[in-house]
Amino acid sequence: MVHNKHDAEDIAQEVFIEVFRSIHKFRADAKLSTWLYRIAVNRSLNFIRDNKKRKWFQSFEDSVETKNRELQNIAATTSDQPGVQLENRQRAILLHEAIDRLPQNQKVAFTLSKYEELSYQEISDVMDLSVSSVESLLHRAKKNLQKKLYTCYKKKCI
Amino acid sequence: MECKTIHKELIFFLEGDLPSEKAGQIEMHLNECSACAAFAEEMKETLGILEAEKSPAVNPFFYTQLKAKLENRESAEPAFFKRVVLAQVLQPALFSILLIIGIYSGIKIGQPSPVKVFSTTQFEQEAIPYFNEMKTESIETFLME
Repeated sequence: MVHNKHDAEDIAQEVFIEVFRSIHKFRADAKLSTWLYRIAVNRSLNFIRDNKKRKWFQSFEDSVETKNRELQNIAATTSDQPGVQLENRQRAILLHEAIDRLPQNQKVAFTLSKYEELSYQEISDVMDLSVSSVESLLHRAKKNLQKKLYTCYKKKCI
Repeated sequence: MECKTIHKELIFFLEGDLPSEKAGQIEMHLNECSACAAFAEEMKETLGILEAEKSPAVNPFFYTQLKAKLENRESAEPAFFKRVVLAQVLQPALFSILLIIGIYSGIKIGQPSPVKVFSTTQFEQEAIPYFNEMKTESIETFLME
């Protein structure tokens, strides 16, 4: 959800610390994995929100520097097959941007379904929604994603 | 089937969410239309990124880092408590005191300073001679000199 390995690891560590501290609050009426996912989703959303705020206050120079670093990372990963890897990297950035622009609920449902391979029932438990709501969220998420990717395809983003 | 319909349904086709009849129609269209086939290929490549990102290698130092973080937090607990007390109790108290002092001094400065009021007779006796010499020394006596 945060599209960055180091940030994801930090969040995962925070999740385990929270679980360690508040395990006594865990009610056995839900699965432990559901509880873990719920904490992880909340932590990730908080992180994204804080990051947005930080970016808002970030100076122009800092944002340029971050962009440069991203570009350098792209360049660094293109050692073997430069063309293919660069294209894949651009595709990944495009996909991440498209996912990031989805409404929050759609983004969470899509991430849990695609990255974590959770079933509709499990997603509904984590998000505290009905299964039909999850189905509808995923349907809209895919539609929005396709729309964004098609717009970009027409503009020849890659 | 129109290209527009394909663009709307393509992601569901690639994800295998469509009923077999519709999927067959789309497949047939993709075999005939090169533009749609190119877009489908592009979509497939892009969505393939999800598969690649699905299972990242776990950092071997994850547990060590987690343990270190947990220990750091526990040792930093009193300092954290102090910070909370400082931030939530002492700072507001200090600011309240400063505010009260400010308001009090503002009121004090705004108040007019007390003026000593003389009775009029006393004023006439003491002050008029300095301003009005005619009363003490008439013009006749002045000219006579």
